[in-house]
Amino acid sequence: MNARFSTRRVAKTAVVALQGEIDLQNSPELRKELLGWLAERQNVVVDLSGVDYIDSSGIASLVEAYQTARHQGGHFSLAAVSPAALRVLKLARLDEVFIIHQTIEQALKGTGD
Amino acid sequence: MSLEFASTRDLQGTFQRGLKRVAAFIEAEAASLFLVDEETGDLVCQACVGPVDITGLRLAPGQGVVGRVVEQNVATIVKDARSDPYFGAHVDAKTGFSTRSILCAPLSVRGQRLGAIELINKTGDGLFHPGDRQLLRALGASAGLAVVNARLSKAMVEQERMARELELAAEIQRAMLPPLMPDDFPISGINHPAHEVSGDFFDFLKLPDGRIAFAIGDVSGKGFNASVLMTKTSSLFRCLAKSERRPGRLLSMINAELCETAANGGMFVTMAAGVLDPATGSVLLANAGHEPPLLHRDDSFTAFPATVPPLGINVDLVPPSMPETWIALAGGCLYLFTDGLTEARCQGKMLGDEGVRRLLAENAGLAIRDRLAAVVDWLAPPGSSPRDDLTLLVVEDRRGKPLLATRFEVTPDCLYELRHKVGAVVRAIGCNKDLVTDVVSAVDEACQNIIRHGYRGTGEIVLEIRRNGPRQLEVQLIDFAPPVDPAKIKPRCLDDVRPGGLGTHFMRTVMDEVVFMPPPMGAGNFLKMTKAIR
Repeated sequence: MNARFSTRRVAKTAVVALQGEIDLQNSPELRKELLGWLAERQNVVVDLSGVDYIDSSGIASLVEAYQTARHQGGHFSLAAVSPAALRVLKLARLDEVFIIHQTIEQALKGTGD
Repeated sequence: MSLEFASTRDLQGTFQRGLKRVAAFIEAEAASLFLVDEETGDLVCQACVGPVDITGLRLAPGQGVVGRVVEQNVATIVKDARSDPYFGAHVDAKTGFSTRSILCAPLSVRGQRLGAIELINKTGDGLFHPGDRQLLRALGASAGLAVVNARLSKAMVEQERMARELELAAEIQRAMLPPLMPDDFPISGINHPAHEVSGDFFDFLKLPDGRIAFAIGDVSGKGFNASVLMTKTSSLFRCLAKSERRPGRLLSMINAELCETAANGGMFVTMAAGVLDPATGSVLLANAGHEPPLLHRDDSFTAFPATVPPLGINVDLVPPSMPETWIALAGGCLYLFTDGLTEARCQGKMLGDEGVRRLLAENAGLAIRDRLAAVVDWLAPPGSSPRDDLTLLVVEDRRGKPLLATRFEVTPDCLYELRHKVGAVVRAIGCNKDLVTDVVSAVDEACQNIIRHGYRGTGEIVLEIRRNGPRQLEVQLIDFAPPVDPAKIKPRCLDDVRPGGLGTHFMRTVMDEVVFMPPPMGAGNFLKMTKAIR
């Protein structure tokens, strides 16, 4: 596996940590993971500190989760974005769209948990 | 007289003059010269002097005194003709001539019986004596030489005429080979006929769109009939290639034409035809019964065997839908050759597939034309006579060696490895980390587009990355999916936040140029991306 997801729960928030390279091979799983937590009405913080590479399909999964959360009034944010991931977010001008926190702790404060 | 015999070409005149002088010298009333008819063995009178003209008289083998002399190959004096059992009195009866005595000597050279000289009736009632016989035998030997010489020289004249005609035919054939091209032209060929005319051919011609059609062929059998069929086949190729671009359909059309109009007498033509797209270094190839062309790249060879039988046998054997092979030269070159190469003898052994590969590899470092000359010189050193025609055609990718060239089945799970491969080659030429990431990301996104919008699943991709001079990196992606409309592949509007459609935007942002080119024949889509490097 070139990428790994691990999720830990902090109160009503799922902190999903991504590691490795997110691409077309594993982005469908990422999408399922994120939408799954949102369906359970959980807040979602995505920890991008371990991301070496993320492609447009990975970004698309994040966008879909972001829209779903907004639609249902939930919380969705990115945290500890690695330089590789930030570069791609900036390319897509999505750094202005997502809520991006420097650290997981700040993100958790933002969720109100 | 012997001297005249030895140098003459006008036999009849020489014989006539010679006989006259012999008859006068030996004092005979009449003289005649008979030659053996090469077809029937009959003795036919070619010249005579005396009161009766028997020129054209024909005697069966062994008939008459002349017949006996020829058979026994011994000079004879017949003192009283009438008492000789061989004497043919019917000739006298017919002509009214009265034969009394005969001196007859054979015309023979090294045991080959050619005929005889016969003298009749020594004048003044005298008898022929042994001295006369000796003299006539000597003259007979000279005359025999004259006959042999004259026949040889007649054959030589005939041969010279044939040789001139063959030379003219060879000249026409040579004129049908493509003209000499500039040094940077990507295709070059050589034809080394074993005889004056060749049963092999090669040809290539530039098409208006910049592609180059080429072909090689070998007519079964050797000699003049094969060369005539070869001339017909190559003319058909040159004519049809201007309007039919698919090599498979082209071979099918030539086959139909050969089958329809030619009484080929069991002859057939093995032929491979292709089209080179110099912009992508790709070749679309069709092979009808011909020696498998060889792709030489990265020190290894790939063969492309025939997919249908040779042309000229049966119209159904080469359908317009015959399979074609799409080949990425990727900085390498494609060799097409006739079996004159594989079947050439080297120290008594046939060169074979392995030998041909070794020979081509050994000369790979030479420029295209020197390489052809070196291979042919090795197979047929100047002064030697090859057993078969040697024909060799090289199709080169003049764009040079790529940094990376790979052909693979694209699937989502191959992308990881692909990214690392691409990253490694871009890093290896000294590009910085951001530039490496940009190129890797562009290739990755382009592959995703092909999976998602082209194949809507998996399929083959040909990827090449090369330097365009010192300051530019070029990425080429060719797929075989249904052609996509480039107008529909637009970068998305970024203000519209939605999943998907980002890939094309990424590619356009990280690369300097992303453009769909006209795909090479046989391919679906051709995407070209460039990026300035420092």
